[in-house]
Amino acid sequence: MEADGGAAPSQGQLAPPAVEAVAPPKVERLNPVVQQQLNLESVKTRALGLYKTISHILEDFEAFARSNTTPKWQDALGQFSMVSMDLFNIVEDIKNVSKAFVVYPRNVNAENATILPVMLSSKLLPEMEAEDTTKREQLLLGISGLPVHMQIEKLKTRIDMIGAACEAAEKVISDCRKAYGLGSRQGPTLVPTLDKVQAAKIQEQENLLRAAVNFGEGFRIPIDQRQLPTSLPSHLADVLSFGDGAQNLGDNAGAYGKNTSSFSSNQGVLQTAGGQLIGRSVPSPSNAVSFDNASTPPMAYANSPRSGTNIMNTPSPQQQVQQQQQQRQKILQLPHQQQLLVQQQLRQSSAAGVLGQGVMSQLHDLTGQTQQKLQQHQMSYSQPMLQQQFQNRQLQTSHMPHNIAQNQINQGSQLRSHINQFSGSANSALFNAAQSSPNSQMITNMSASMQSQSLLPRIQFGLTGGHTQRNHPSQMLNDQMFGMGPSNPANMIAMQQQQQGGFGNISTHTQNLQSGMVNLPNTTQNPNFPQQRQQNQS
Amino acid sequence: MECVVQGIIETQHVEALQILLQGLCGVPKDRVRVHEFCLKSGPNLGVVPSEVRLLCDLAQPTPTWTVRHAGGAMRGAGAEQLSVLVRSVVESKVSNNALRFFYAVGYKLDHELLKIGFAFRFQRVVPITVTVTSANRMPRLHAIDDAVPLTPGIQLVEITAPAAGDNYNEVAAAVSSFCEYLVPLLHLSKPGVSTGIVPTAAAAASSLLSNSGGKAI
Repeated sequence: MEADGGAAPSQGQLAPPAVEAVAPPKVERLNPVVQQQLNLESVKTRALGLYKTISHILEDFEAFARSNTTPKWQDALGQFSMVSMDLFNIVEDIKNVSKAFVVYPRNVNAENATILPVMLSSKLLPEMEAEDTTKREQLLLGISGLPVHMQIEKLKTRIDMIGAACEAAEKVISDCRKAYGLGSRQGPTLVPTLDKVQAAKIQEQENLLRAAVNFGEGFRIPIDQRQLPTSLPSHLADVLSFGDGAQNLGDNAGAYGKNTSSFSSNQGVLQTAGGQLIGRSVPSPSNAVSFDNASTPPMAYANSPRSGTNIMNTPSPQQQVQQQQQQRQKILQLPHQQQLLVQQQLRQSSAAGVLGQGVMSQLHDLTGQTQQKLQQHQMSYSQPMLQQQFQNRQLQTSHMPHNIAQNQINQGSQLRSHINQFSGSANSALFNAAQSSPNSQMITNMSASMQSQSLLPRIQFGLTGGHTQRNHPSQMLNDQMFGMGPSNPANMIAMQQQQQGGFGNISTHTQNLQSGMVNLPNTTQNPNFPQQRQQNQS
Repeated sequence: MECVVQGIIETQHVEALQILLQGLCGVPKDRVRVHEFCLKSGPNLGVVPSEVRLLCDLAQPTPTWTVRHAGGAMRGAGAEQLSVLVRSVVESKVSNNALRFFYAVGYKLDHELLKIGFAFRFQRVVPITVTVTSANRMPRLHAIDDAVPLTPGIQLVEITAPAAGDNYNEVAAAVSSFCEYLVPLLHLSKPGVSTGIVPTAAAAASSLLSNSGGKAI
């Protein structure tokens, strides 16, 4: 059917031929102005172009349907919008000149005979007509009684008001666009930044959360609060009974477990043998870098070929058992307060983790927990720990003219069995020096350090176990020097400062270890670590 | 083995993240409510403490228990170049007397936590699981009903994918490429590496919420 407002192109095409066809004898020409305005040629080309585009799009859709692929909706919508724009323009142009023409249906046959009058009528559909009248009434509400020109004026004022409102709204929008930087097409140029305080808070929360989820920091309940509740949740009600639960929490073993857990978490930091921490220049939170958390015991590598000082350093089984027994006694004797203190220290900064690592990386092969405790407690428990430290000191220091045979140290472990509460690596270094063949250099050094330490409070530390050879001269020196029991960080710092003027390598190493233990921001100690490691692994 | 990355997101943006994940994954979300017991071995089980986690899934009508042991991370130059953490993992379903069993063997409860949130499990080259949870601590032992979030303003996002020794590179690449989609809202990194939040997350979240009409899915 051509007689449709939507088929304007065909209408435009058909009307002139129809006019000419009806009256062949009278060759009428359209008014040249109208003809020019109509611009038939361009309308034809545009209509044809539109037709081609639409058919092309339809073909694409059919291809999509056949091949079961999803069409690219973005492109399809773009094409569709182009097509509709073209059609709209053509229709607009035709509308301008359609008044000069009348639609004359050509193909009247049985099908369209009935529908033609409806399509040709310009009368609105009843619904549309009703809508039109209601709108008209709404518009002319209140002014329909007035004469027409006044109605017109009122309508005009209304239009002006609406226009003014629109302009004001546009102005507001443009101002807002400028204010928020949305006006330009490039998008927002300002990246919103968090202020420092907020960022710091978030960072703190993040560290807390990460540590909690990965290592359990912040979830542990103190021993005294670990009683089974009277009403268990449903999924635990039949799992736990009162008898079971109480045994497995809380008590000294729990404290032991608690300590070891926190130690192992830090130990993971301190003992990444792969050197991952060393490779980082940024000190990370002490828990942050530990990949092998407590679940993978770092001590698993204790007897692996990886650790250099493997074979020599393993104490004999007898000594090991002895040490373990004494360790346990020590742990139980530790006051709760000190345990908490240690745990607090464990949570402190990255410096501890970074600095401690270089020293700790050598401590692979000895009994795990003993090493952990020494690293993080100020009071060292274990002789194997001491042994290892002594060996480290020996290897590192140039004061020792010869590498003390490990056997010698192992033999001396019985002597050291009473020294369970060390408060600093300086002590161990001195002890180490004392254990070696006391040459004059050692003695002068020791006297120097003795002097420095004489200022420190002499606290009695509990001695347990048998002292087999107490009359050893070096032993006497050691007893005097190691007059520090459960010391506090202040003592450590004081000791460290006093020892700075002392002997060379030993002091630096002690500083290293102390800072590792006491959370001192001695970043200058870092360069020593690669050196230490190389020396130890050689 | 599994590849894992973690990130944090502010609690206010969790809904937007959920919408984004829903769009990316195409599967409905699963509720997560897991009571996690972290057990450490006692001294009778060796000088080296080991850790085992028992997970009780409370979102199911009947609680299901899983035992899980996460091993050490892969190390080396290759591991450092990966943006994900690759670690060995052993996981198994167990019956509900697993806790008793572990206690009898000598494990002690080190800590427990409650994880509440949601998870998306979908397939994108490899099966990937994205969990968004808030870690809640219990003030008293086993007091689930009194659990409070440890960090109310921040939740943890964890993306894991199972891997094997021979395909962990592909798995790592798949996880990394998926993480790219989440960049507007959060940064992801290896567990333990701190990332911070995304400053423009608010804008991204608001656009996500407005696009969807703000409806919860």
